[in-house]
This record gives sequence, C-alpha cells and structure tokens, in this order.
Amino acid sequence: MSVVVSIAPVEVEEPIVGEVTVTDKPWVVIVWNDPVNLMTYVVLVLQKLFGYSREKATRLMLQVHHEGKAMVSDGTREKCEADVARLHAHGLWATMEHPS
Amino acid sequence: MRIKPGRDGSVQITFDLAEVELLHEVPDQLRLLYEAPPDDPARSRLFPRAYLDPTEEKAEQQWQAVVHPELVRERLAGLERVLGALDGGDVKSRRVRVSLTADDVSVWLAVLNDARLAFACRLEIDDDTDVYRYAPDDPLALEMAAYAWLTTLQGALVETLLGTLPG
Repeated sequence: MSVVVSIAPVEVEEPIVGEVTVTDKPWVVIVWNDPVNLMTYVVLVLQKLFGYSREKATRLMLQVHHEGKAMVSDGTREKCEADVARLHAHGLWATMEHPS
Repeated sequence: MRIKPGRDGSVQITFDLAEVELLHEVPDQLRLLYEAPPDDPARSRLFPRAYLDPTEEKAEQQWQAVVHPELVRERLAGLERVLGALDGGDVKSRRVRVSLTADDVSVWLAVLNDARLAFACRLEIDDDTDVYRYAPDDPLALEMAAYAWLTTLQGALVETLLGTLPG
C-alpha cells in the first residue's frame, strides 16, 4: 500500500489552564457528486491537488459516486477556503463546513 | 480525432476540421457564460458557493470577493491557451495536428470540463441520461453528440495525465 500524504496540520492552541477548553475541530472540505465529472478526472484532480495516492483518490472518488459526497481534506478555515477555490478551478463541486 | 500520447503527459492530437470548428466554439460560449449574471444556473455550477451554511454568509461574500475574480481570470487565460494551440496547429489535408505539453493538457482538461458542465446544465443531463440515445431528428441530437465527443476527448486526455502520476 502506498503512503498517503498527510493533509496540512491543524493549528493547535495551548489550552489555558483553569478555563474551559473547546475542542478545536478542523473545517472539512466536501466534494459532491454530479452527473458530469468523469470518475477518472476526479481521481486525477484529487491526486494532483492533494498529493493523494491513486488508491486514496480512487476511494474518495467512489465514495462521492456512491454516497453522493466525500470529505476530501480538512484543516483551518483559511486552508479549506484555498482548497475549495482550487477544486472549483477544476470544475469540481466543493463546499466547506465546520462539523458541530 | 487521433490521439498520440507521450510518456511525459504530452500529447499529439489530430483533429478533423469539423472537430476544430466545434472546439473553436467552446471558448466563445464559455466566455459569455463566465460573464453571465450570478443567477444563471450554468454559471452557478461553474462558480459554486464555498459555504452552504447561511450563517456564514459574510465569510462567503468575503471569499467570493477575493476568489471569484481570480477564478475568472484563470479560466479566461485557459480559453486563450486552447485557442492558441488550435490556431498554432499544423494544417494538412483537412486535418489539424495539435501538440500539447502536459501543462497544456491540464489547461485543456479544465476547459473541456467547463464546456461539459455548461452543456449538461442546458441539456439537463443527469445520471440517467444516455447521450447516445438521441435519434438523428431529435432537436437535441447534435448538442448531445457534441457533448459525447467532448467527453471522449476529455477522457482520453485524463488517461495521458494519470499515466504520469503514481499509480
């Protein structure tokens, strides 16, 4: 199995002692299914943009195809905004959200 | 159309003149679409929202303000690259041979994808649409054939680039 390139690290803030710490959950980028994008094209874009292995990119593409969507990356708000912009530049339908 | 891929992702494509004519129309149509009003359905598919959550409307507006002009600029530059390659092709006995680098192929893929997304929006193509099903006298037959042909070209170009990435 090929090594999967990890996504950018999440910024971790030092918890302040004595105060309630809120878990700093990362934002996530979702790619949605559409009837137009070729399966091979989606694999190509995911490999190219995120450096994923063929295996990981294919798994995510199939998840989009069968389940209607897949989480393709995560990180800070700024990183996810940049990822969404690159996905849109390639014609993939991507959005970002903050899991509650 | 005949496609001869190189090992490095470059490719030589020989088009018939009719195919070049079809490809020539794509940038003109897309240019209009990029400048269409925001509520145009095909335009909104090419430039979707980043945030679905309505409480993030402010972030969405800020993101659009920064990103949208850049995405349009990039796409317009892509159209020029495609036109440049078509116009710079070798014309020989009603055929045009176009040589593309791997980087050109990436640009072509984005343009072809936009063209297919735009077609699909107008033709209301969904998962059940069989683009080969249309009878020759169907009013949509010609556009469906164009869509299918663009799909074939895009699929072949994707393969040439996938060959350059770790398998």
